[in-house]
Amino acid sequence: MTPDQLYGIREDFTREGVMICFNGAFVHSIIEEIGNALRRYLQDQEEKKSAALDVFSVYIEQAQNIRNYLARKHFTDASFANAIIVIARKGERYVVSSGNIVDAEDQPGLDARLTEITAADAPGLRKLFKERLRAETRDVNGGAGMGLIEIARRCAEPLTYAFHPVDDGHSFFCLTAVI
Amino acid sequence: MELNIPRTTTTPEVRFDAEHAVLAISGESYPENSFDFYAPVLEWLASSLVQLSGLRLEVSVSYMNSSSIKCMLDILDALGEAHAAGKTVEAVWNYETDNPRALDLAEEFRSEVSFPFSVNAIGG
Repeated sequence: MTPDQLYGIREDFTREGVMICFNGAFVHSIIEEIGNALRRYLQDQEEKKSAALDVFSVYIEQAQNIRNYLARKHFTDASFANAIIVIARKGERYVVSSGNIVDAEDQPGLDARLTEITAADAPGLRKLFKERLRAETRDVNGGAGMGLIEIARRCAEPLTYAFHPVDDGHSFFCLTAVI
Repeated sequence: MELNIPRTTTTPEVRFDAEHAVLAISGESYPENSFDFYAPVLEWLASSLVQLSGLRLEVSVSYMNSSSIKCMLDILDALGEAHAAGKTVEAVWNYETDNPRALDLAEEFRSEVSFPFSVNAIGG
């Protein structure tokens, strides 16, 4: 990477208030360490415990959702197996954005779940949570729905998401949570 | 009937006090694989509840990820079955007052069970 590119990335990060950014293979030890770093940062900012826990929880659910999905998919291409997570501070809010490759066949299901979740208000999310708690299988890879509901319940604004086409069989799924 | 799982950063301490028949779970819970972590606890419950006349579950977990929440429900369901079979079963859920989401979660669990379930505020 050239100095100009590096400077450009740094400028972008500074402008967006980025605290932590990771792009690479989501393994448990890395998820745990970034979580520890995030908590130290929030502690240094003297965030209220409940607010800090909300940010931490959203980060954990996003990271573990991605890890579980990619572990199930076994993409061999490194650019598909890697994912990105960015934690930023914007004014009084924290923003956790993540991006990972999804199979085209998984997109409609994910889209439908997120449509339902983003349309729900707080009582609606509570209801969805209770339904999912009993309905979902014990398959750890099938648990994305619960994780997404947990994320939405801790957010100050509805989740935003997009699918960016990559090739015929894949898209890049971006999810942004504002806490 | 021993059960003593030490606490780690991502998993809670799980300990059985045989003298008082108290199963205590404390710490935080966001393991790499929640089902793998809680499987021995559920196995222990299945074999021990048959022998015990009763059991008190004490939970002091300040953070649980979504898959741990599912596993906790499995634990409560196991206690519910023992209660239905005539055992003396109760749960005490401790939460810190500066952690409102933990209170929400406690209330959600309470509405899922039919045995005594008390929610206890502790200073945060």
